[in-house]
Amino acid sequence: MSNQYDVVIIGSGVVGSSIAFHLSESRQKEILVIDKDYPLSGTSGSTQAWVWVHNKTPSWYGELSMLSAELYPFLERKIGDVEYKRTGGIAPFFSESDRDSARRLAEKQAEVGIEIDVLNRDQVLEKEPALSPNIAGATFSKIDGNVNPFRLVELYIKAAKKNHVQFSFYNPVIAIKRNKGMFKVITKNDVFMAKQVIMAAGPWTKEVGKLLGVDIPVKQVRGQILVTEPLAPLIKHTIGGMRQADNGEVLIGYSKEEVGYDRRTTLDVIQDTAKMAVEYLPDLAKANIVRCFAGVRVIPNDGLPILGPVPTIDNAYIAVMHSGITLSPIVGTVMTELLMHGETSIDLKKLRLDRFNESNSYV
Amino acid sequence: METDLLIVGGGPAGLHAAYVAASNGIKTIIVDESFSLGGQLRQQTQQLNNLPKQFGDQTGTALAQTLIERLTNLDVTVLLKHTMIGTYKDGRVGVSNGQNTIPIAAKKVIVATGAAEEAFVFPGWTLPGVMTAGAAQILMNREHVIPGKNALVIGSNDFALEVGKQLVENGVCLQGIVDNEVQLVGKKAETVHFLKEAGVPVYLDSFVKHASGSGEVEKVIISYNNTEEEMDIDLVCIGKGLTPILEPFEILNCDFTYEKELGGWLPQYSTMMETSTSSIYVAGNAAGITNLGPILLTAEIAAVSVAETLNGLSKEEANVKRELSWQELYRLESAESQNAFHARVNLMRSFQDNVDAQLTQLFNMFVGGV
Amino acid sequence: MDDSTIVCKCEEINLAEIETAIKSGAHTFDDIKRLTRCGMGPCQAKVCSNLVRQIISESLDKPLSDIRPPRMRMPLKPTRISALVGDEESSSVISVFSESAPKEGDEDHV
Repeated sequence: MSNQYDVVIIGSGVVGSSIAFHLSESRQKEILVIDKDYPLSGTSGSTQAWVWVHNKTPSWYGELSMLSAELYPFLERKIGDVEYKRTGGIAPFFSESDRDSARRLAEKQAEVGIEIDVLNRDQVLEKEPALSPNIAGATFSKIDGNVNPFRLVELYIKAAKKNHVQFSFYNPVIAIKRNKGMFKVITKNDVFMAKQVIMAAGPWTKEVGKLLGVDIPVKQVRGQILVTEPLAPLIKHTIGGMRQADNGEVLIGYSKEEVGYDRRTTLDVIQDTAKMAVEYLPDLAKANIVRCFAGVRVIPNDGLPILGPVPTIDNAYIAVMHSGITLSPIVGTVMTELLMHGETSIDLKKLRLDRFNESNSYV
Repeated sequence: METDLLIVGGGPAGLHAAYVAASNGIKTIIVDESFSLGGQLRQQTQQLNNLPKQFGDQTGTALAQTLIERLTNLDVTVLLKHTMIGTYKDGRVGVSNGQNTIPIAAKKVIVATGAAEEAFVFPGWTLPGVMTAGAAQILMNREHVIPGKNALVIGSNDFALEVGKQLVENGVCLQGIVDNEVQLVGKKAETVHFLKEAGVPVYLDSFVKHASGSGEVEKVIISYNNTEEEMDIDLVCIGKGLTPILEPFEILNCDFTYEKELGGWLPQYSTMMETSTSSIYVAGNAAGITNLGPILLTAEIAAVSVAETLNGLSKEEANVKRELSWQELYRLESAESQNAFHARVNLMRSFQDNVDAQLTQLFNMFVGGV
Repeated sequence: MDDSTIVCKCEEINLAEIETAIKSGAHTFDDIKRLTRCGMGPCQAKVCSNLVRQIISESLDKPLSDIRPPRMRMPLKPTRISALVGDEESSSVISVFSESAPKEGDEDHV
């Protein structure tokens, strides 16, 4: 392979691979994707993989998530079956006092077209009889669902390869230099030249940013997930906190710890999560946990995606966000518009990296 | 629960470590996932030679009894049917008995979880009737069940040959010993002689091509001398060696290294048997696949080191004991092969910057200045 | 061994599937696992880890000492959820609902 590219994408997780695929569709650019390990070895391979919309706030962020979820069926026609299922999403609450804020959520999200039902206990149990009768109610939306993250990333890459995208795995980027208007990307095994560079390395984008002298305002957050043995069908919906996979395994967990890149699990969180599991689904008490895993997620300091050009460096771009699985179809689409035409169908103003500078100026 | 020392695994290494530690005043808890203590010794009905001097020669089952009975009047709490399942952020170890998960806060931990039998794959290996040599031995000696009528043993190390011998003694028709090695791996002349006398065919430089049957293994095709032979077989015992169990060490954040002669990947450790995680020690087969003598002696070294750091033994006493144990370990391990002991010294050297000066001298003497 | 020989008993993954994953560029046990599910079943790779390492070693012509064992995970033995449920208060586990319910002024700071 030649070492000259139009675009080098750093990170081959769900975000980097999606951008690579979407950008390759017109076959006008020579594209290389570099990963320090192998696809799915990072965040994209250690997630429950919800395609989750309905309580993403503020509502414009919910809208972005909804647009992305709407793209999934079209994406599957292009790259193949990624086991996307629009199961509907249920986020239970246990106290009547939460009902007001549930209603407020429904009102706000309705303004952007996200339909949310605020359910009472009976309505929740009608939808999911296995949920605990201690639940006071839930917010529900048809738009939520889940996907198989392994198939998703694998098929993004397969489709990108078909469009002649090159991939280089187990090849960490060591340095990035500017050289006559080009980027010189020095990796463990090679040196690549690129006209444009996209940072899409999830939590590790922080480190990639340092190579370009850019501070990326993100945190690493560990999430631990429990996996049961395969069980008979128990839940049909994606439930805030858990879902059941096609093979019957129930994935449970919603924890956040700031411990850097440490991916170990701990009994502290495993036991807390087990407790949550039976509070939601009492029947799970009898189920065996076969394994637990942890993923390091990236959370931008204000919680919202960072997408667009790097303001201080021409031809450098960034795509980093917490909900990469949900957002990958729209992020791939928008980044392609940006790189091909310089303008996008969605206003990136609220998403750009320079928003952090602006908010600083208020302080 | 709180304790000075937590020992994970109640096999020979765990039991011996408990004795050495507790008899030096260290409050000890042993957890074991099984319903009884003794580990692999419970099915080792054969006579064990090359034990440390204090034990003489005895059968495995008798040795288990000895090791268990010695704990009677010591401060040792035994938790059977308790499995180490993980660790907490603060370093406590979580054990589960199936109903509850109990955190144990221990000043020191010795992991003596032993080894697992290597899997070996050929078409049909997942059929019932194909099992590890160890599983066949448990059926015969603990469950008193004859595991089959017509057997084939894959592998020719001492353990595979010993199980072959016990199959014959239990009236099983042993149709052959198959190994892809060009000569017998096992060195125990007595066992080899027994099998020869019993007329058991040995197929070296050979392999199982296929096992088949409806619902369970019925036929096996082996390939040797460029020919194939079909046999009526209802029991295939795989005895292709052992590999240290690594899971507890990973959970305890210990670093691993690779030493082929010690069974592959295993935790790094010092001459005190302390791993790369401070206060976590290793003993027995988990510290490298070996014979019962060295299994017991690594446990002794680990327990002496624990007793020393918890002030149950003075530095001088501990040094003397460790040196004696290492000497005996060298003697017993190298009686069979120099390679394993060399690998051990290599492992400790690569991990420990300054191996204890006295021991360095000792090791140099043992391994001829490696 | 032939292509259809099972390597991972729990998930019924055969040799050909492992070799395909290696050919597509996955060079570690964990990377192969995520592509094939090999080692994800109840035994958690206790049986197949050395088998797969052997196959990687042969396919890539690398010594076994270069191929690390898979990441091993808690719980070390399948454990009932009821046995894991502790008495301590939840700390870092949060509910999706409570986290994402709109707060006053959510839209003002963007």
